[in-house]
Amino acid sequence: MDQTCLEVAGLWKVFGQKPERALELAEKGQTRAEILDATGCTIAVRDVTFDVLRGETFVVMGLSGSGKSTLIRCIAQLTPVTSGGVQLDGEALTSMSEEDLRRVRREKISMVFQHFGLLPHRRVIDNVSYGLEVQGVGKELRRERALGVLDVVGLEGWGDHYPQQLSGGMQQRVGLARALAVDPELLFFDEPFSALDPLIRRDMQDELIRLQNEMQRTIVFITHDFAEAIKLGDRIAIMKDGALDQIGTAAELITKPATSYVREFTKDIPKAKVLTAGDVMHAADGEQPRGSVSLLATIDSLLPDLLTDPRPLAVVDDHGSRMGVVDREAVARVLDS
Amino acid sequence: MTAEAPPATGLIDARGLARVAPWLVLIGGVLALQLAFGSRVGFPAALDTFFSDPVDAMGAWIRSNRRSHPVMTGFFTPLTNAIDGVISGFETVLLWLPWYSVVAAAFLVPARVRMWRAGLIAAGALLYTGLIGLWEPTMETLALMSTAVLIAVAIGVPLGVWGALRPRVEKVMRPILDAMQTIPAFVYFLPLLGFFGVGAVNAAVATVIYALAPVVRLTTLGIRQVPPQTVEASKVFGSTRGQILRKVQIPIALPTILTGLTQTIMMALGIVVLAALIGAGGLGENVFQSLSQRRTGRGIAAGLAIVAVAMVLERIWRSLAVLDPMQRTPRKWRLYGLAGLFAVTLAGRIIGSVDFPDVWNLTLFDPIDQVVVWARDNLSWLTRPVNDFLVAGIIVPVRDFLTESAAWPILIFVTGWAMWKVKGWRLAWFGAASVAMIGLIGLWELSINTLVQVVTATLISVAIAIPIGIWAGRKPRIEAAMGPILDALQTIPSLVYIIPVVILFTVGVVPGIIASVLYAIVPGIRITALGIRQVPEESVEASRTFGATPRQTMLGVRIPLAGPTIMTAVNQVIMMVLAMVIIAGFVGGGGLGFETIRALTRSDFGLGFEVGLALVLMAMILDRYTQAWGDRLQPPSAV
Ligand SMILES: Nc1ncnc2c1ncn2[C@@H]1O[C@H](COP(=O)(O)OP(=O)(O)O)[C@@H](O)[C@H]1O
Ligand SMILES: [Mg+2]
Repeated sequence: MDQTCLEVAGLWKVFGQKPERALELAEKGQTRAEILDATGCTIAVRDVTFDVLRGETFVVMGLSGSGKSTLIRCIAQLTPVTSGGVQLDGEALTSMSEEDLRRVRREKISMVFQHFGLLPHRRVIDNVSYGLEVQGVGKELRRERALGVLDVVGLEGWGDHYPQQLSGGMQQRVGLARALAVDPELLFFDEPFSALDPLIRRDMQDELIRLQNEMQRTIVFITHDFAEAIKLGDRIAIMKDGALDQIGTAAELITKPATSYVREFTKDIPKAKVLTAGDVMHAADGEQPRGSVSLLATIDSLLPDLLTDPRPLAVVDDHGSRMGVVDREAVARVLDS
Repeated sequence: MTAEAPPATGLIDARGLARVAPWLVLIGGVLALQLAFGSRVGFPAALDTFFSDPVDAMGAWIRSNRRSHPVMTGFFTPLTNAIDGVISGFETVLLWLPWYSVVAAAFLVPARVRMWRAGLIAAGALLYTGLIGLWEPTMETLALMSTAVLIAVAIGVPLGVWGALRPRVEKVMRPILDAMQTIPAFVYFLPLLGFFGVGAVNAAVATVIYALAPVVRLTTLGIRQVPPQTVEASKVFGSTRGQILRKVQIPIALPTILTGLTQTIMMALGIVVLAALIGAGGLGENVFQSLSQRRTGRGIAAGLAIVAVAMVLERIWRSLAVLDPMQRTPRKWRLYGLAGLFAVTLAGRIIGSVDFPDVWNLTLFDPIDQVVVWARDNLSWLTRPVNDFLVAGIIVPVRDFLTESAAWPILIFVTGWAMWKVKGWRLAWFGAASVAMIGLIGLWELSINTLVQVVTATLISVAIAIPIGIWAGRKPRIEAAMGPILDALQTIPSLVYIIPVVILFTVGVVPGIIASVLYAIVPGIRITALGIRQVPEESVEASRTFGATPRQTMLGVRIPLAGPTIMTAVNQVIMMVLAMVIIAGFVGGGGLGFETIRALTRSDFGLGFEVGLALVLMAMILDRYTQAWGDRLQPPSAV
């Protein structure tokens, strides 16, 4: 099977009456604010291109109003795109008939929303089985599957409650269960945990990591919280004014920020906790290294050792082969930047 | 603001001049018009027969072609027959069933979904109507109202959904709905008479037209209020348009739609009595009888029966709207209930015990009459001065001044000026043209007569409702205590409580005014209280922090912030008073109300049309004026 699940190419979304004119100005390099002044149109998504690999968690991070929701809604075809293409498993969603789109949605896509988007008139179990219901799955099977997924998200026994009777965190578990019940290939999350209290947010993040380790779905996750992006994302895209500033792993963003905007976000991140020996190692340069550490060890865990002994440490992969060395100077350089 | 005040020159500066200029124009205009036209009072009714003749001709044509023309035989006759079929079908079934089966059914339908209380209320309400000996007219009215509400739902919900999904449709519908709600219901009766004939069908159609607006409006509102995220969520899972509508939008909007339905039932309730006027029978006839016999007690008995019908309908509809299967009573119980109902019905029919036994009857309420008579005999020290003050002190002098002393163009000018002052030229032209039109069609004096009564009733209502509303808005307990009284005033048909008023004050303009006030203060109080309560607590606290006294906070913060809502209250008061114009006509109020009744009872289409037009124009002027005023009080919205 192909490694790429989702391809987004040259995606534009303009809100307003004169999208052609706005596109024209945008091609000339005018900023979002200038175009809004000139045409009254908002460039919500600006020439966005990226691929998402199968089983990957791809995070889009940006401040409020940067166009994240619009981007995800364009990808899911909840709003028509102004130009550009979206392909899922090689099928172009952007040029699909309404009916084909419905089929793809039923078979492959799910979404979790910031404000849950649950159906207040249905009990939890009927919310969870909604996707199966519109597919025409029989009542018994629907119930069985929904009960199963409720167990998975830790809501066993809550099926007969109404969503309003649950706390915010539990409601979002219902949203998650609803998304998982249809066994989707691709999951969209639009700031799913932003409306939750910090402690509950952390629980939900851990829960998602646990689930993702078990099921390996393809996920597009949106957040405005850089820490959350680092925690969850295999790769992260930084969005600003509708455009992507940089795409990369957390370490790449931290060690090689492409713009000053990206650097702003990475500044407050405790780098020692995020970066690993693999991120800061370099080729051995003479001095004999002592002991060895894993590629994945965080710098944090190496610091005491490095501070007591000036000699470099060897960095080895899972099979024990040496990949490079890490020393005080290399660590000091990235922590200072 | 950096603009400096212009230096004062002479007596008044430029800014002061700008402020007084409109008033100078007003005074100057009135004086000039009086000098120019003063000798010619009475409106030159140039269009006296302009509308009425063609309408009369049309009425005559309809009457003579009723049984022959394809439009009639192909459309209206079958439609009439169909509606008639539904009404008489309901009626036949309700009267064929033994009374206890009907009462039991009223309990069982809500009980089906565990709405025990609603079931008991519905059954109890019906039991009441039987116990006081009004079973048969109650069933007639129940059949009529069920049909009207059924049609209103069948038309209103789809229309509302359509409007919610297509903003352009909603844009077209909105002014039509506004008009339908502004125009007093009785205006519809006469034109419909031509197409649907005399009787229950006409009443049902008029009810549907009058009461349709809330269902449509609240359906649209309900569907609009469904969070877009929820709709998108169901879209992401691959729902079709129909699935989204059936499984998501309508169920979520259902509580709002039911609110609309309750309003529709309440509005229908208001027509039931008037429906008797065009031969619809039922409880309305009992109310009219009580009015002509001056039997307060019996009027109240019949009025309460009408309220009972509304309660039954409301509870039944609400229970039918419970869709969650888990809310249902266990299947076994439901089957027992149904089987029991069948058995009892069958047994009752076989042994022939169908009619409600004569336990009590209307005489039960006769003691009330004695109270009213006692009040009449002992409270004249109060009623007589009130009566004299209103009639001799206000209404007659103002009316005579406007119709006999003031030149007719003055009223046109003043209306235009007032409209211009609140909104601008467009509304000014509209107002002036409307007033002119009322005069041109020859209803000048009758309309002024009605206008003076309407304005008097409005002023009294506002003077009562707004202070009480402000008080209630501050003190939730006061509001809770007033609730039942307000509910009663709004639901008991106004012709009922006009009976004691007539006995106390004798016929004339005053009973009409008092009844209008009683009816109109209810929304006045409720909306004002709402406005006061909705003032953000933060603004109030900010004012307190600066050391404002409660009085300063009320005058400086609460009332100004509630201003637009209070204007809505005034607007509603006027609409309610206008709806009572015909009631006033029944008790000697004269004016357009009496003309309406005359036109209705004589099937005088031309007159009916003109009176209707005059009332609609008057309603529109007053409605626009108060709305524009309310808009002015609205703080400028953020960009
Ligand atoms: N339906 C819409 N019509 C007009 N402008 C919109 C619409 N939806 C979003 N926008 C604008 O597009 C920009 C991006 O919004 P959004 O995608 O919601 O950002 P984010 O989710 O990153 O907070 C904002 O400036 C917003 O005002
Ligand atoms: Mg967003």
